[in-house]
Amino acid sequence: MSLLLEIDAQKGALIRGEAVERPAPKPVKPANEGAGDVRRKIVPVVKPPAGPSASEWENGAYVSLQNWLEGAPKGAAILLQPADDVRALEGRVGDVPLISVDFHRIGDGRGYTHAFLLRKRLNYAGPLRAIGAVTADQVFALARVGFDSFALRADQNGETALAALGTFSVPYQGAVVAGTAADREAALLDAKVRLLDLALKNIAMSHNRPALASSLSAEDMVIADAIARLNLPIDVFTLDTGRLHSETLDLVEATKQRYGREIEVVKPDAGAVSDYVTRHGADAFYESVELRKLCCNIRKVAPLNTALKGRSAWVTGQRREQAVTRGALPETERDAERDMQKYNPLADWTWTDVLAYANRFDIPLNPLYQRGYVSIGCEPCTKAIRPDEDPRAGRWWWENQDSRECGLHTAANTRAA
Amino acid sequence: MYRYDAVDRLIVEERVAQFRDQTERYLAGLLDEDAFKPLRLQNGLYIQKHAPMLRIAIPYGVLSSEQVRMLSSIARRYDRSYVHFTTRQNLQYNWPKVEDVWKILAELATVSMHAIQTSGSCVRNITTDPFAGVAADEIVDPRPYCEIMRQWSTLHPEFAALPRKFKVAFNGAKEDRAAIYVHDLAFDLYRDQAGEVRMKVLVGGGQGRTPRIAAVIKDDLHWTELLTYSEAVLRTYNKLGRRDNIFKARIKIQVEALGAEEFARLTNEEWAHLKNGPNTLTQEALDRVAAHFVDPVLGAPSEAASQNLPTDARFREWMTQNVVDVRHPDYAAVNISLKRKDIAPGDATSDEMDAIADIADRYSFSEVRVNHTQNLVLPYVARAKLFELWAELDKLGFARPNISLASDIICCPGGDFCSLANARSIPLSARVAERLEPIESELGPLAIKMSGCINACGHHHVGHIGILGVEKGGEDWYQVLVGGRADKGGRLASLLGKAVREDDIPAIVEGIARTYLNQRQNGETFIDTFERIGAEPFKPALEISEQAQA
Repeated sequence: MSLLLEIDAQKGALIRGEAVERPAPKPVKPANEGAGDVRRKIVPVVKPPAGPSASEWENGAYVSLQNWLEGAPKGAAILLQPADDVRALEGRVGDVPLISVDFHRIGDGRGYTHAFLLRKRLNYAGPLRAIGAVTADQVFALARVGFDSFALRADQNGETALAALGTFSVPYQGAVVAGTAADREAALLDAKVRLLDLALKNIAMSHNRPALASSLSAEDMVIADAIARLNLPIDVFTLDTGRLHSETLDLVEATKQRYGREIEVVKPDAGAVSDYVTRHGADAFYESVELRKLCCNIRKVAPLNTALKGRSAWVTGQRREQAVTRGALPETERDAERDMQKYNPLADWTWTDVLAYANRFDIPLNPLYQRGYVSIGCEPCTKAIRPDEDPRAGRWWWENQDSRECGLHTAANTRAA
Repeated sequence: MYRYDAVDRLIVEERVAQFRDQTERYLAGLLDEDAFKPLRLQNGLYIQKHAPMLRIAIPYGVLSSEQVRMLSSIARRYDRSYVHFTTRQNLQYNWPKVEDVWKILAELATVSMHAIQTSGSCVRNITTDPFAGVAADEIVDPRPYCEIMRQWSTLHPEFAALPRKFKVAFNGAKEDRAAIYVHDLAFDLYRDQAGEVRMKVLVGGGQGRTPRIAAVIKDDLHWTELLTYSEAVLRTYNKLGRRDNIFKARIKIQVEALGAEEFARLTNEEWAHLKNGPNTLTQEALDRVAAHFVDPVLGAPSEAASQNLPTDARFREWMTQNVVDVRHPDYAAVNISLKRKDIAPGDATSDEMDAIADIADRYSFSEVRVNHTQNLVLPYVARAKLFELWAELDKLGFARPNISLASDIICCPGGDFCSLANARSIPLSARVAERLEPIESELGPLAIKMSGCINACGHHHVGHIGILGVEKGGEDWYQVLVGGRADKGGRLASLLGKAVREDDIPAIVEGIARTYLNQRQNGETFIDTFERIGAEPFKPALEISEQAQA
């Protein structure tokens, strides 16, 4: 008996049976030398069917389509061959306990059409099994046309087959190509979430102590949620500038509780802050762009640089849609100033995507969003905006639009890498 | 230019991850050769004569300069610094290593490219008019329909193990520049009296060992049923196509065996279950896909844009031969000839690809098209800049004024690379081009097409003059055909007689060409003359070889 992979509506996918003992595999030398100077003709290769025969599985409980149509015992399972015309079963599949489709060889795709017709045309809802030349690399497509169990060829590895069921997350057929706008939006969000997951996994694998610099914005909450959901070794820290809204600070605690993960709170250098306040006044940032930038530098940029020390990459929640300064934002770029890699995995996300993610995964958001705030920074430098205003219109609103960055994301490193 | 969205990106990324895992299992000895073969083929990887060959999809022949640079850079780092453009708007690397292929695919994914289904028994890359979207004679822009078809057929679970390969093409112009009559399934787009887009559906065309011109099985398919009808065709083929003999497995054999009417009846029977179903397209779906094609804004036509171009004779000759009018009067499409002396047709080096990318940036809104004739096209060139562009192309050797002339030969890689070939084709194509070049402008449009074996990758069946490599006693011999055409409903070329020696071919082809010059009447092209007089008058040209041997 070899392995049977089954998809169970309640229990998910699982493996039954025992693997056949096999000798250890020998590594292959890839055929990089080509097929040689042979003037060979294409010769059709007809191989005998491989893998377990139907009888090995059910000890003769199967009958052929022909026999079944001629009047098989009640409760008999059907074994379909590639050349069978499944339409002969029209209106009669109601109480068939099991239909198996025999794949004689990998390249014979008639069984896929059998499955499609059984499921969609004949409305067969019972178990549908692929047997014969069934390998791990076929189970994804087999499952998509309606098979829910797979009698794997004797040499197949169950774990590989199980993993292969998840090969593609969002197929083109169906909603993506021909669905409604809502179907399409849902598929796009699925794809964006999966791409975010892949990007974060990749960052976690390829960097030394990567970190998310979280401002506790909705974007950063999305990334932090994905990091926690995937349990990735990516640190999350936040900069407490000393001038944040209390709502923002409350969110730090809420987030720690929610995920049971640490968020490092980085504070500015106390001496530098008091020096600024003494010399220029606590709210001097309203007076000039220079003084505003100096404040940003002391309270945000310098602490950020400290927090990033010793890391080879950082992650941000920047999006292209957010500001004119972010229109060409790449998904990954070299942060030359800090000599590290910088990732913007939400670069192509819209605000609608962010909210849809928050809704789907039920993540905590800053309550200020509900009061008309869109981009949230320090309390004195952030205000609510009207729905028709630019998303960053509520940041340093007394300045020109093209200067409205705090300095964390400098012009040099927002250029395409 | 089609812009990928998150779904497109994710699919190619997951495809790379899948193939990486499959390659690693193969190299570790966990996946046998037979099981790995269909997997690598559907990722474009062949094992050829000298080395593996990797075929990259260029959906409907559209490339951005960024993609051209990536293709060039990959050729430099993983291959031998050159690429080959194929007769189906694809691109091939001739020397990659099996273990590197997934890395190449990962790099391609970063510029929205892939090699999915460029080989194997599945729906292949969708092809169309290289001038789609700009052509002066365009009735319907075929690109959104091509893209919808590309998406639907990509990794379609039911149709990944068809009896044999399945090639799909679209045409939306008056003149067919996509060879739709020699495709397994093709759509000829037009507008009905109400202005609605409809399609003529062609099935069962193809070249190869059993060349057939496609049959029209439906002449008024409404565009909304593109996918449902395609699904019906593919399901009918998947169920009934022969699987006992690889040479009889293409859909054309089935269509012929059943008769086109019976095939249409079976397809319609299946279609009855599908039309107006979930795969029926909506205007919204079409608009959404069309919106992914971000074309340059060319501005309102102004007079004087093309006046005062220099009268330099070489420039003027190039204008006549290589520059094509487009809908916008101030712009033109420019053919970049990849048919150069002593260079295999369709080949370009990495340095040349980089130069082409730069030229595309400066002259054609960063876009390049690939023609199935193995040339490139710059689709959006301002007429006022034509002279400047010509001077640059000329310096690079890309301004040979030979588009659709005798030296613009379509040619497969042949015995120099391909393990299926019976004879070499590249060296002979060079000799033929050299022989005819002195009289090629006098000859006018003349499509010479050459294949190294009966699989007909060089399209010899639809050449005005076709040359087919055969093997005789270990030597390269060739058959000569005349009168084929890929456009205007297509016609298969007629065989002139028995195979001849390689050395005689250039003289024979010249003899055929001179027969035309002697026979032509007022303004006839080669193919016009053939249509009037048939193959018979060309047969004596084949004697040139027999006399030479005697």
